[in-house]
Amino acid sequence: MEFAQVYDRVENESVATPLDISNLVGVWINSNPDTNGIARMEFAEVDGKPSVRVDAIGPDGLIDWGAATVKLCAASPASRSTAGFTCTYDFGFAETQLQAMIMKGLIVLAQVHKFKDDSGRMDYFVREYFAVVHDRY
Amino acid sequence: MEFKQSGHLDPALTDSATRTLRTDKLTGRWLNTNPDTQGIVECVIKQDGELFTVDCFGAGPDGPIHWPTCRTEPLANLEEEAGQRTFALSATFEFSFMKAETYIRVNKGVLVIVLFASFQDGSKRSDYVNREFFYRPQ
Repeated sequence: MEFAQVYDRVENESVATPLDISNLVGVWINSNPDTNGIARMEFAEVDGKPSVRVDAIGPDGLIDWGAATVKLCAASPASRSTAGFTCTYDFGFAETQLQAMIMKGLIVLAQVHKFKDDSGRMDYFVREYFAVVHDRY
Repeated sequence: MEFKQSGHLDPALTDSATRTLRTDKLTGRWLNTNPDTQGIVECVIKQDGELFTVDCFGAGPDGPIHWPTCRTEPLANLEEEAGQRTFALSATFEFSFMKAETYIRVNKGVLVIVLFASFQDGSKRSDYVNREFFYRPQ
């Protein structure tokens, strides 16, 4: 088995099964009410595939980015529990990669924005926190 | 100017001062804060003109494993904790059996690498995310 670090040298005997999305399903709200980035994310399973729909803050209200298929990540090569995800939105003028870790009930979301137009904008990085909406208390 | 969030319109993104931020907080040799790590033991970041090179060394059974060097463009990091304005990097390391996508940033003198690994070899290993911390040796 090939590996680039000892951490990756594990033998999974069981049949590979899809990661469970249940700890992601629902609506997640940005912890910063003054964000100028993503306001909310809603996760669901669509046609058997994990999917996210993003609403971002715009000058005149929320901007719907639409749905994107997410790629789930576990906490380790041997784990089958979801601990994060990645996905990409291609807007034509820019591409945004979302890379997330789930930590202590929060999604820690890194966003990499790369511009493809001639606007002279520098590519940039943002990291924000999201909490799931629930009705327990 | 097209946008999909107000952040895309941040004047700092076209401010020449953003492109000339100091890079010395990011560049240099970094060692994992965990001496027993089974992940990345060392990271060396160098500036090469307008690009950066990132060399990572994974923990191996017989010594560090040098990963393929990644060349990448800097990212403006405008909203780091404590209002720091700095650079971050997005670096992808391609192996025949795995792809490791990372984002790299400095927060209060600590280099943070978050790694998303995806396996391409049918080994039944789960794709995973891992975060490690690095300090500058004296």
